[in-house]
Amino acid sequence: MIEISNLHASVDDREILRGIDLRIGAGEVHAVMGPNGSGKSTLANVIAGRPGYTVTAGQVLYRGRDLLELEPEERAREGVFLAFQYPVEIPGVNNLYFLKAAVNAIRKHRGEAELDALDFMERVQARAGLVKMDEAFLKRPVNEGFSGGEKKRNEILQMAVLEPTFAVLDETDSGLDIDALKVVADGVNALRNPERAFLVITHYQRLLDYIVPDVVHVLVDGRIVESGGPELALALEERGYGAFGRHGGASRRAGA
Amino acid sequence: MSTPLSATPLAGSWAGTLAALLGELPQALRFDHHRHDALARFEALGLPGRRDEAWRFTDLSELKARSFVRAAGDRPIDADLLVDLDTPHCLSFVNGHFAAWLSRHGSLPAGVFVGSLREAAEEHPEMLAGALGRVPGLEGHALAALNGALFEDGACIYVPRGVELPGPVHLRFIGVGDDVLAQPRVLVVLEDGARAAVVEDYLGHGRYWHNAVTEIRIGAGAALEHVAVQQEAAAAWHLGALRASQGRDSRLVLRRCAAGARFGRSDIAIDLAGPGAACEIDGLALVGDAQTLASHLLLHHAVPHGSSRQHFKGVLQGRGRHVFDGLIRVAEGALQTDAQQQSRNLLLSKAALATTVPRLEIYNDDVKCSHGATVGYLDEDAVFYLRTRGIGEADARRLLVRAFAGEFIEAVPYADLRERLERRLATYLGEGVA
Ligand SMILES: Nc1ncnc2c1ncn2[C@@H]1O[C@H](COP(=O)(O)OP(=O)(O)OP(=O)(O)O)[C@@H](O)[C@H]1O
Ligand SMILES: [Mg+2]
Repeated sequence: MIEISNLHASVDDREILRGIDLRIGAGEVHAVMGPNGSGKSTLANVIAGRPGYTVTAGQVLYRGRDLLELEPEERAREGVFLAFQYPVEIPGVNNLYFLKAAVNAIRKHRGEAELDALDFMERVQARAGLVKMDEAFLKRPVNEGFSGGEKKRNEILQMAVLEPTFAVLDETDSGLDIDALKVVADGVNALRNPERAFLVITHYQRLLDYIVPDVVHVLVDGRIVESGGPELALALEERGYGAFGRHGGASRRAGA
Repeated sequence: MSTPLSATPLAGSWAGTLAALLGELPQALRFDHHRHDALARFEALGLPGRRDEAWRFTDLSELKARSFVRAAGDRPIDADLLVDLDTPHCLSFVNGHFAAWLSRHGSLPAGVFVGSLREAAEEHPEMLAGALGRVPGLEGHALAALNGALFEDGACIYVPRGVELPGPVHLRFIGVGDDVLAQPRVLVVLEDGARAAVVEDYLGHGRYWHNAVTEIRIGAGAALEHVAVQQEAAAAWHLGALRASQGRDSRLVLRRCAAGARFGRSDIAIDLAGPGAACEIDGLALVGDAQTLASHLLLHHAVPHGSSRQHFKGVLQGRGRHVFDGLIRVAEGALQTDAQQQSRNLLLSKAALATTVPRLEIYNDDVKCSHGATVGYLDEDAVFYLRTRGIGEADARRLLVRAFAGEFIEAVPYADLRERLERRLATYLGEGVA
């Protein structure tokens, strides 16, 4: 599904990703854990195509195609989805209208007819039920005034409606209460199937009790320093990142 | 400092133009005294130049470089100019002259008058004599004075005490031709407790100059909703002045959308003369490349318990220029005044320029006044967010501008006008955002 090899990326001439190798097959769920500032969101943003991130080396293949040459909207239309760590508030744009524009942009790309209002509503209502989101949120401006947890739920709603092939969830569990955490996990698990893949970025082993990953990766200082099964997440919970030179940002440079 | 009159010669002299006009006007519309007075004021003030404080940010030099003639009204009108509104009352003016063939009259409650000023002069000469030119404000405004001296016709809406005029009155001011000056005049008089709604449309084809004045008197407890849509031809000049005086507990809502003209400016003076009067002004300017649109307001709170709200938004493209200059003046005796002003600008280009001049002159302590101004570019994080959901970049930008401007459009109470404004916005965005 996705093959990342030797990916180097910088922001403002500062190298953040320093050689990432990651292969996620169809049907798999991979988790990425790692200390603050290690580059997890940077990886997510590079996959989504955020302007300002420069890939200096390496490549990302998505279903055999060079993902990095596509515009962000083209990636989305091809089935790539990013649930943001910090979802953006968009005053004046109604959540439902936004979802409809997104669904139809993707359908158009696939050569499908636009959904009519009724079909669209049915689909959204069903998915909103899945993520236990009150329909009142659909009528509000996108994320405006939403609580932290509500924003995350809204990300999962969008994912459920857009039905991506490859979804990256950037700390979607952060700031969620236990019930919301289960909702997010249910949302992901409901979409899980042999044709889809997920990359779940998290700080907490707890999420992985609900979304059981096939592989757990540890990202430190822009590199994947260890990969393993779900038990790796448990081990990290015990020993922290110290063993990987957690504060290596400074020492790396000092020793370089 | 003023520019000498000779910098802008009309055909013949201004005084000669007035003399000729007086010979043609019906007796009740002559107002010889007023007109001579206004002309004297205009001549003393001259066309404003950049050294006039109130014209510091707007430049009439292109206008001054041309000469204009009085416009004829018997001109053919292209169908695209006949914008419609779903209402039985519609008065049209071509180059400032009443166009009966483009107008229609609905049935009116007893005592209500809706018609041209010339018709009003026949039917209601006393009302006209008591009201026209009597609303205070904009005394130092040279172009309002020019209109006062030389207006030839316009619209008159009179609603007697306690009566509600059903349906908005649609006024279409159509300019056609090059180098013509049209000076329409609007008079709206609502007696105590009366209610009415008016929509003024300004549009046209050519390099004409609309110099319009609207005068509004609202009695105690009366309510007026007044919408103005300025979508003049791209080569035209639009100068509009509006002055209103409000009685006790009256309510005035102004909604103003400016999108057309190479240079468009409106000067608005509201006199909240009766206690408890409330005024709300909503503005939206869609400024294109190399275009200047300006709004200058004076909200004068003369007596206690008045409230006023000004919400102005501007969207700017290319080298567009938007000026919002709002003065809230609260008199010593105007206790418990509640006045708010907000100006927000969205720049779609680095070369665009938005100027906001909020001014408060408050002469007592028992008031609630606030003003705020923002100028910013589109939120690039929001653009990216939309793009990651499959929405193309140009569409994402359009969606965000639409979100910014939508508040104004959605508040317009007429579905067909809302649609027209949406289309205008779409056209505007089609040209500029990508
Ligand atoms: N747009 C940006 N401008 C400047 N620095 C950036 C930018 N994006 C990321 N960085 C820097 O890159 C480094 C990695 O950031 P990133 O957000 O990828 O970390 P993270 O692993 O997601 O951390 P967290 O767990 O706190 O979310 C940080 O030092 C961060 O400050
Ligand atoms: Mg992060």
